[in-house]
Amino acid sequence: MKKEALPVLPLDFNLPREVSEVRGMDDTPCLQFSSHMVTFYKQTYGELSRFFFALREGRLIGSSCPKCKQVMVPAATWHCPACNFVEMKEVTLPNHGVLAATAPITIFPSASFIGDAPFCRGYVDVATDAPAASYLPSRLCTTTGLPRPGIFVKGTKLKLVFEDDRVGSIRDIFWVPASELSKKQLDKVPLLASDLSFETPKAPDVKHTPAMVKARDMALAAMKKLAPDVAKSPRAQKDIAGRTHVVGVKTAGGDFALIVESGKLKVEDKLPRKPDFVLVAEDPGVFSRWVDDGSLTDAAVEGSLWLPNRAAFAVLPILDRLPRSVRRDLRDAK
Amino acid sequence: MRRVGIVGAGITECRGRWVEATYWELFQMAVRRTLDDAKMKVEEVDSVVYGIYNDIFEHQAIPESSLTGLIGMANKPGTRVTSGGATGFYAMRTAYMEVASGVSDCVLCVGGEKATDCFDPRSKTATPMVIDTIAKSWDPFFEYPLGATASDSYMQMCMGYNDSYPNDIGDTRVRAKIVEMLCRQGNRNPYAQRRDEKVSAEQVMQSRWIIAPFLRLLEACMYTEGAGGLIFASEKKAREISERTGQPPIWVKGVGAANEAYAPGRGSYYKPLDRIVSDRLAAERAYAMAGVKASDIQVVEIHDAFVAQLMITMGELGFVPIGKTRKLIDEGVMADIRTLGDDKPPPKGQVLINPSGGLIFGGHFVGGSNMFSAWSLRREMINRKLPLGLVHGTGAINAVFGGAMVVELDGGAQ
Repeated sequence: MKKEALPVLPLDFNLPREVSEVRGMDDTPCLQFSSHMVTFYKQTYGELSRFFFALREGRLIGSSCPKCKQVMVPAATWHCPACNFVEMKEVTLPNHGVLAATAPITIFPSASFIGDAPFCRGYVDVATDAPAASYLPSRLCTTTGLPRPGIFVKGTKLKLVFEDDRVGSIRDIFWVPASELSKKQLDKVPLLASDLSFETPKAPDVKHTPAMVKARDMALAAMKKLAPDVAKSPRAQKDIAGRTHVVGVKTAGGDFALIVESGKLKVEDKLPRKPDFVLVAEDPGVFSRWVDDGSLTDAAVEGSLWLPNRAAFAVLPILDRLPRSVRRDLRDAK
Repeated sequence: MRRVGIVGAGITECRGRWVEATYWELFQMAVRRTLDDAKMKVEEVDSVVYGIYNDIFEHQAIPESSLTGLIGMANKPGTRVTSGGATGFYAMRTAYMEVASGVSDCVLCVGGEKATDCFDPRSKTATPMVIDTIAKSWDPFFEYPLGATASDSYMQMCMGYNDSYPNDIGDTRVRAKIVEMLCRQGNRNPYAQRRDEKVSAEQVMQSRWIIAPFLRLLEACMYTEGAGGLIFASEKKAREISERTGQPPIWVKGVGAANEAYAPGRGSYYKPLDRIVSDRLAAERAYAMAGVKASDIQVVEIHDAFVAQLMITMGELGFVPIGKTRKLIDEGVMADIRTLGDDKPPPKGQVLINPSGGLIFGGHFVGGSNMFSAWSLRREMINRKLPLGLVHGTGAINAVFGGAMVVELDGGAQ
């Protein structure tokens, strides 16, 4: 389906029309009604259309002031606010830039972007030769798995990538670290998303060490102790009801598997034959800490747990719930 | 310009959701309490300034129109102010200007928010919808389509700061200690949203990441429903009200504000990503107008959306050096409420920061959060006999809106 054919609002983005009872802190009964404040738009890009037409053509343009020489990218105006609104000229910008500041990684997105997390957005200095320039707000992507700390830091050299199907949107473009690309890819203008591979990122190498082997043994013991409790915990059963996940894990202490199936958590001492995906952690202690009320999501956010894709990220909150659910049920049982 | 005093203040309880009240009732409750505090009748008020951040939260365009009659302001002039997170500050600035200019003698400044009636149909919770509503503060052409949120916007600025000034805001222990101290202060505020919580530095460091490495769950402000009001009056009227209430006026001594450009960039007028220039300019302007320095001030109510931002803001406001804002903890610049009790001023060299618990423990009803801060500041200045205080507001993407108001206790510390 082409992007233009997707509805503006997802079809499940709605509420039943109803008035229901609700109680708050005072525990007095009140009524609440479901409603909306949705306005649809056919919003003109107006003077910005030039910028988006150029994106469609595979070009990045900015507006340049003949007087102060500043470059505005995106071309947010064609009259320089710093020079008494003198008319600015169109300039075609290079397809490479520098990350202006270390970029945050969003893991708790707004309602409109649920399912996209984790993602990284940042500001790219494109008109580096100009004495002054705005930064381009940009999507930042890596071919090495999900975005994680240490990839998009200030000064990272970036290459502009265009989506193959461009509609006239800021999402028609994104940036990839230049260090991840071949010379041929770096030289290509415009470089297209189909020129890159995001589907099968190369997992980081881990070297086995005796200390990590011991840590892996401890993690396995902790997880194997957790597994029977998951089967007995009503909360944990609810967490994994109807779910099947086969997760391989590589660590510097050795490999193992976490399998969620038929309401059970199984821990095996080797990689599964057909994993849904394989996680990589230098330190197997990540999994001991998970059992001890830690968080695999936090490990991914910190960068100590490598994930190949968003599907893997989506499973982590479910796994994170298990030790907590078990602990709560054990506490309630006392 | 005429001298202007704050002579009444009232707030609602801060709640995560007020099921029992619409925003009409919240605003009226705040007005009733404000007038009670000032021992005034509503007829004495000449005009009103409303601080309401976002029509979507209130679920009504022009929400102030339906409030007017309900808060006793029918047939009086009313001005709505909306300036992102700094809405409360800008509403106070507007109320101040209206009295200082002589247009009115007595102005009610009231702000609030009904934020968590929003509901996300897919997650069946409010939060993603609240985040999305705030995300509508970004432009629809370039920023919103990328998935911008308030948290990552402020963290972008913190990351930029950390790029230029490493080894300052990045120490989780320092930030966690600040949270622990704010928590103790919030415990003393009878209206605070999290007044019953006990949060230790250890718990902060173990709480889940929102955005690594500068924001864990327990370092973030809340979504709050509530409202707060203030009475701004001319000197003559302020003296008259003060005699009735037996409470000294708090005089507005300096007001400074600055809004940076929306677009970040390099050089020219662009927003630098490593500083909160709006805070610095606002403070410099407020200090110049008041004829004071940061070191003269020992109580502040800072708009602490996030702890790392609070640290940078304290640097921009001149209380600690930029790049060394961790001195707040390392050198004990942040006063410890346990040693001050309810009525002692901080020792020399120390600053009481957010005695209300701030936006993290007290509450953050966006349109009136800065009124909430001013309510607390006034209370602390009177109780502790502190001659000077500062209330700060920040808002909009990448913290580009900033405001600071320096106030003086009538008669100084006497």
